[in-house]
Amino acid sequence: MSKGDQQILFSFSPELDTAFLRELYGDDFRQAELVFESSLQQLRSEFSIARARFHDGDITGLKKVIHKVKPIFGYVGMSEVQEEYKDFEESCANARSATDIESGFGLIIGITEQAIQKMETELKRLKQYNTQFL
Amino acid sequence: MKYHSIIVEDLPVAAEFLKKFCEKSGMVEVDQHFLNAEDALRFLNDNVVELIFLDVEMPGASGFDLLDQLVYNPQVILTTSKTEYAYDAFQYNVTDYLKKPFTYQRFLEAIQKVSKKSEQLNGNSDQNHMFIKSDGKLIRLSNEDILYIESMGDYVKFVTPAKKYITHNTIKNLETKVNPQVFMKVHRSYIVNYTKIDDIQENVLFIKGNMIPISKAHKSGVMQKINIL
Repeated sequence: MSKGDQQILFSFSPELDTAFLRELYGDDFRQAELVFESSLQQLRSEFSIARARFHDGDITGLKKVIHKVKPIFGYVGMSEVQEEYKDFEESCANARSATDIESGFGLIIGITEQAIQKMETELKRLKQYNTQFL
Repeated sequence: MKYHSIIVEDLPVAAEFLKKFCEKSGMVEVDQHFLNAEDALRFLNDNVVELIFLDVEMPGASGFDLLDQLVYNPQVILTTSKTEYAYDAFQYNVTDYLKKPFTYQRFLEAIQKVSKKSEQLNGNSDQNHMFIKSDGKLIRLSNEDILYIESMGDYVKFVTPAKKYITHNTIKNLETKVNPQVFMKVHRSYIVNYTKIDDIQENVLFIKGNMIPISKAHKSGVMQKINIL
């Protein structure tokens, strides 16, 4: 058996948009790993800013952070989360006070925490896969 | 040939992704990445690029604010996560509009549009020559003939191998009018035809024996523009 035959094949987790991820990264799983890692880091950092904006009642600031974070989910195959963010961004645009978006932001917190978990799991899988070539 | 470009994008992961695509294509050189429009504009005031990858919504000024203040017209590819800007993109005559995240295939399509537009511009006779008013008549000067343009207060001197023409104009005004694919400002008093540069020594360049200073602010732009092996 050749060395190539022993390599584990990688496929993205089915809970992610696998077709889009394959199109986005092709066979470049190192690039995928870098993007997942960087996305996680940026998501964590930006989301803590989003929480602070919400607690300060700064809806305009919160809307800006939500807008900035939104495309991150596209890069990791979570288009449905991106859509939730898009809806919430619109809610922020129409809100008159922080109370108007309180439940929406609660939902966003839950969705984001779940997304972070999925990203962590996928990143771990990508790292495991990529280290076999080291 | 590679297009000199900058990325204006406040989301680092999106910028990294784009840089990777540019590198992979072998057709686009990313000179700089800016997280906001203000820093990008400062760079663009002193440097000439052929292509801008531009996000729309950023902290501070927007991508459209940047386009409003830009004194020359490089090609622009808008990169945004909102499709709502399509109408504005059309109004600003941008080359393409990429919705983030986009695939490599989609990126290549955008670069093909850049190439096509670039070919059209180069083939456009308006971009290959200019008319200047000198000695009481309008004289047609081909870009190919102009070595450099020098400021003389309220006048400028167009230097060609055969003759020098003095006309009422300013370097600042001409900077926005000349073809950026041929000319570049290297000093507040000089615009040169960069295809005519013979050599560069420290902060001076030579064109057919003429010594032209390069200012500190324009040095990096000059070095990026020339093809150093």
